[in-house]
Amino acid sequence: MSVPALELIGLKKSFGKAEIIRGIDLSIGKAERHAIIGPNGAGKSTLFNLITARFPPTAGTVKLHGEDLAGLQPFQINRKGLSRSFQITNIFPAMTVFENVRCALLWAQGYKYSFWNLVNRSRDLTEGAEKILDQINLLERRDLPAGTLSYAEQRALEIGITIAGGADVIMLDEPTAGMSHSETDYITDLIMKVTEGKTLVMVEHDMGLWPCGPDFRPGLRRDHRHWRAR
Amino acid sequence: MELILVNLIDGLVTGLLLFMLSAGLTLIFSMMGVLNFAHASFYMLGAYFAYSISLYTGFWMGLLIAPLIVGVLGAGVERYGLRRVHQYGHVPELIFTFGLALLIEELVQFIWGKNQMPYAIPDVLNFTAFAIAGNSIPAYKIFMIFISVAIFIGLLYILTKTRVGMIIQAALSYPRTVEALGHNVPLIFMGVFGVGTALAGVAGVIAGPVLGTFPGMAFVLGSIVFVTIVIGGLGSLWGALAASLLIGWITTFAKSYNIEMSDILNGIGVVTPADLDDNIFRDLWTVTSPQIADILPYILMVLILIFRPAGLFGKRHT
Amino acid sequence: MSNTELPKGARPEEQITTDPSRAAQRMRAGSMTLTMLPWIVAAILLAMLPYIFTSNSALTIMNQMWITVVFALAYNMLLGQGGMLSFGHAVYAGVGGFACMHIMNMSDFFASFPLPVLPVFGGLFGMGLALIVGSFSTRNAGTVFAMISLGVGELIAACSVIIVAFFGGEEGISGDRTYAMPFFGNEFLQQINVYYLTAFWMLLSAGLMYLWSRTPVGRMANAVRDNPERAEFLGYSARWVRFFSFVASGFFAGVSGALFAINYEILTEENLNTASSGVILLVTFLGGVGFFFGPIIGAIVFTLVQTVLSLQTELWAFYAGTLFVLTVMFFPGGLAGLLMMHVPAFRLGKAGGLIVPYLKTLLPGAIGVLAVCGLVEMVFHVRHASTGDHEMTLFWTTFDSHAILPWVIFIGVAVIGLGIARTTAPALRDAWNEANTAGGSA
Ligand SMILES: Nc1ncnc2c1ncn2[C@@H]1O[C@H](COP(=O)(O)OP(=O)(O)OP(=O)(O)O)[C@@H](O)[C@H]1O
Ligand SMILES: [Mg+2]
Repeated sequence: MSVPALELIGLKKSFGKAEIIRGIDLSIGKAERHAIIGPNGAGKSTLFNLITARFPPTAGTVKLHGEDLAGLQPFQINRKGLSRSFQITNIFPAMTVFENVRCALLWAQGYKYSFWNLVNRSRDLTEGAEKILDQINLLERRDLPAGTLSYAEQRALEIGITIAGGADVIMLDEPTAGMSHSETDYITDLIMKVTEGKTLVMVEHDMGLWPCGPDFRPGLRRDHRHWRAR
Repeated sequence: MELILVNLIDGLVTGLLLFMLSAGLTLIFSMMGVLNFAHASFYMLGAYFAYSISLYTGFWMGLLIAPLIVGVLGAGVERYGLRRVHQYGHVPELIFTFGLALLIEELVQFIWGKNQMPYAIPDVLNFTAFAIAGNSIPAYKIFMIFISVAIFIGLLYILTKTRVGMIIQAALSYPRTVEALGHNVPLIFMGVFGVGTALAGVAGVIAGPVLGTFPGMAFVLGSIVFVTIVIGGLGSLWGALAASLLIGWITTFAKSYNIEMSDILNGIGVVTPADLDDNIFRDLWTVTSPQIADILPYILMVLILIFRPAGLFGKRHT
Repeated sequence: MSNTELPKGARPEEQITTDPSRAAQRMRAGSMTLTMLPWIVAAILLAMLPYIFTSNSALTIMNQMWITVVFALAYNMLLGQGGMLSFGHAVYAGVGGFACMHIMNMSDFFASFPLPVLPVFGGLFGMGLALIVGSFSTRNAGTVFAMISLGVGELIAACSVIIVAFFGGEEGISGDRTYAMPFFGNEFLQQINVYYLTAFWMLLSAGLMYLWSRTPVGRMANAVRDNPERAEFLGYSARWVRFFSFVASGFFAGVSGALFAINYEILTEENLNTASSGVILLVTFLGGVGFFFGPIIGAIVFTLVQTVLSLQTELWAFYAGTLFVLTVMFFPGGLAGLLMMHVPAFRLGKAGGLIVPYLKTLLPGAIGVLAVCGLVEMVFHVRHASTGDHEMTLFWTTFDSHAILPWVIFIGVAVIGLGIARTTAPALRDAWNEANTAGGSA
C-alpha cells in the first residue's frame, strides 16, 4: 500500500481550556480530493492551521508523504510540497496581479534567495506566471494592483498563488465563501480544473453547488462533536 | 556599607524618575500599539513650562499647572496628529513621533534659547534631610521619591479600583469589545495619551531643577526610557517599574564604584598582555565602569531582545 | 468592474488576445531600452555638472549630495523595500568610513591599490557589521526591529568615545587619501577628481541597488514587507529575506561611509550618532519611500535646502522638522509620491489643465508661507537678539524688528496670501478631479 499524501494521527488543539480539535485521525491518499465540512466555529480553519504549522498542535502528528512535519516552520512545509489558501483573502494587495503570482513561483522554480538573477529576465518566470494567470482568467488584469480586484477575482488570485508553486498537496479554506451563485460556479470550475491530478483538501460550508464527481468523497470519517461526515 | 545605602537612595531616585516616564509610555503603547518617541519631549516641556510659570508664581504652581498644560498638548497631539497618521500604519506612526521629538526640541530652542535655564530647587526644600556617614541626602531627593511613589500608588488605584480604570484595562486587551459595549474608545485613547504625557510632564517639573533644564534633556533621557520599557516588556506596568529601578541602580552603582575591566578579566584568570599599548584591544582592558555606566542599559536591552524578546515581564507574543 | 463580466468556466481559446510568450518577449525588448535610458541620462548629466558648477564649494555640495544619495538609497532598501524602520543606520556607514580611514593610515597596504577601490572595503566592513547585527535583529520587523536598531546604534555610538583605538575618541580619525596607488597617474589631489570618483560610485551603487530590487530576493523583500505570513506560506522565510536585505543595505551604507572618508579625510563620532541616523530617515522619508528614485530626490533636495537655508537662517532645523512632520501627516508618499500622483493625469493627456489652477493656489500659498516664516524669524529676533539690537535683515531688506510697520506688512501678506490660496483651493480640487477622470468634456 502506498504512503498517504497527508496523514493526521491523534491531532489535538486547545486554546486555553477550550478544546477545539479533539483527536483527529485522517489519511488522504495521493490525488484524492476531499472536502471538510462543518458549522461555523467547528475548528476547520484551526485544523488547517495545525497542518500548515501556523499554530503548534497540543498533541498528535501530521505527516506529509509519510514524513513527520513536527517542528517545521510554514516555509519549510511549503517547500515540501504543501500549499494552502486562507479563509480571509491573503494576498499582496499593493503588488500587481502578475507580481503576486510571480512571487509564488520564485521558490518553486529554484530562485531561492538569489540576488544574481533578475526576475524580469527569466522567461520561465514570466511565462509560468502568465500561464497561471490564464488558468485563473486574470490575464487581462495582470498589471492592476491586486488590492483593486473584485472580491471574486481576489479569491481566484489567492487560488492562483496557492497552486502556482506546483505543490502536489493543495489546501483551500472556504474558497467560495461569500460568493454569489455565478461566482461560485466560476471558482468551483476553476478549482476542479487546476487541481486535476493533485491531492486537494478543502473546507466548505455547503457542497450543494459543487460538481461532485465520483472522486469527491466526504471528508472526515469520525463524527466528533464538531465534525460531521457527509 | 554606608556608601551602598547612599547609592541605593540615589538609584531609587533615578529609577522612580524613569518610572514616571516609562509608566506613561508603556500604558500608551499597550493601548494604541504605538511607541511614542516624543514621550521624553513632553518631559522636557514639563520642565520648561514649570520654569516659566515658577518665574511668576513660584515652584508649587508650576508643579500643579505645567503637567496640565503638557497633558492637554499631549491629548491634542493624539487627536490631531497620531489619529491621522494611524491610518498609514505603525511605521509611519513611529516616524511621526520621531519627527515630533525633533520638532519639539527645535521649538524649545526657538522659545527659550539654547542655554540651560536657571530653574532651581525651591527654598523650602533646599536643605539636607539627613546624612549617612558624611554623605548628605538632600531633602529634594526625598521629595522626589515621595512624589513618584504617590503617583504610582494613585495610578495603581485608578487602574485597578475605579470604573474608568476597569474600562481602560479592558480596552487594553479588547478594544473592539469595549467599543461595542458603547464606550468611546477614541476618547479613552486620547485621555490615556494625555494622562501619560502629563505624567511625563510631572517628571520634568521635578527633575528639571536637579538634572538641568536644557534643550538636550529630552534626548538624554528619551532613549533610556525606551530601553526601560523594552527591558521591562512592552506594555507591562510592573515590568516598567522593575526595569526602571534596575536601570537606576545599575547605572548609579557603576558610576560610584570605579571598577576596571582589567581587574575583572584578571579576576576570571585572563592575564593582561605585556605589550598593552600596541594591542588593538587595549581600550577594552582599560575600560572602567563609570565610563560604560551610561551604555549599560543599551547592552542590557540588546541582550534581552536577543534572549528574551518579550522583555522581563512581557507576555510572549504569538 | 462587476464580477458578472467575468468569463465563466473555460473560455474559447480565441479569446486570448495576447500570446503569453510573445508578450514576454516584447516586454523584455521594450524594457531594455526604457530602463537603460534614465541611467544614461544620469551618467551624462553627472559628467556635465562640473562644467556648469565649477567652483570648489559647488563640487563639495554635489559630492555631499551623492554621498547622501547612496546612503539614502541603502536606507530605503530597509525602510521602503523591506518595511524595516532603523533608528541606527548611521552606524553601518560610520563603521565603513572608519575602516577606510584606518586603511588610509596603513601606508603599505593603502599604496597597493588605487583610491577608487577603497569604497569596496568600506562596503565590506559595513556589511560585516550588518551580518552580525542582522543575525539577531531581523527576526522581527516592526517595533522590535526598530528598538534593536536604536539600541545597537546608541551602543556603537557610545563606544566611539570608549574604544579610542578604532574610533579615535573625541577627535576622530583622520588620514590622507593621496597616499593610495596613483590611478592612471591621478592622485586625487583636486576636488574635481574626487567629484568624478564620488559620482561614479554613486551611479554604480544606485544601479546595483536598482538591480537588487529586481532580483528574486529583492522582490520577496517587498512581499515580506506587505504580508510576511503569506510569503512564508510561499516557501520564503521572512527572517532570511529581511536578513539579506539588511546585509545588502549595510554594504551600500558602508560604501557611502567610504565616500565620506575619501571626501572629508576625517571621521568622528558625528558620523555614527543617532542624529545622523535620524537625518537619513528624514531625507529618505521626505523623498518618498514608495519609489526607487524617492530617496534620490530626497537627498538632492535636502542637501540643497540644508546648504542654502543654513546660510540664511539659524532656524533651518526648525523648518526642516516642521516640513518633516507635515510630510508624515499629509503626504506619506513624500516628494516622489507627489510627483507620481500626476502620472494618471499625464496618461490621460490632461495634465496641462492643472497648470493654471496650480499657479492660482500655490503661488499665493507660497508667498503666504514665506510671510509666516518671516514672522517666525521676527519673533525669534525680538526674543533672542542681544538687547538693543533692533536691526534685522530678511528677504534682502533691513528693517527695525521692533517697529510696527514690518509686522503689519508681514501679517498682511500672510493673511492675504493664505486667504487667496484658500479660496482658490476648491477650484484646484475640481481641476484635479477633472484631470484624473477619463473622457469627459475637456
Ligand atoms: N487563536 C485562537 N485563540 C483562541 N481561540 C481560537 C483561536 N482560533 C480559533 N479559535 C476558536 O476555535 C474555534 C474554531 O475556529 P475555526 O476558525 O477553526 O472555525 P471554523 O470551523 O473555521 O469556522 P468558520 O466556518 O467560521 O470558518 C472557534 O470557536 C474560535 O473562536
Ligand atoms: Mg474557518
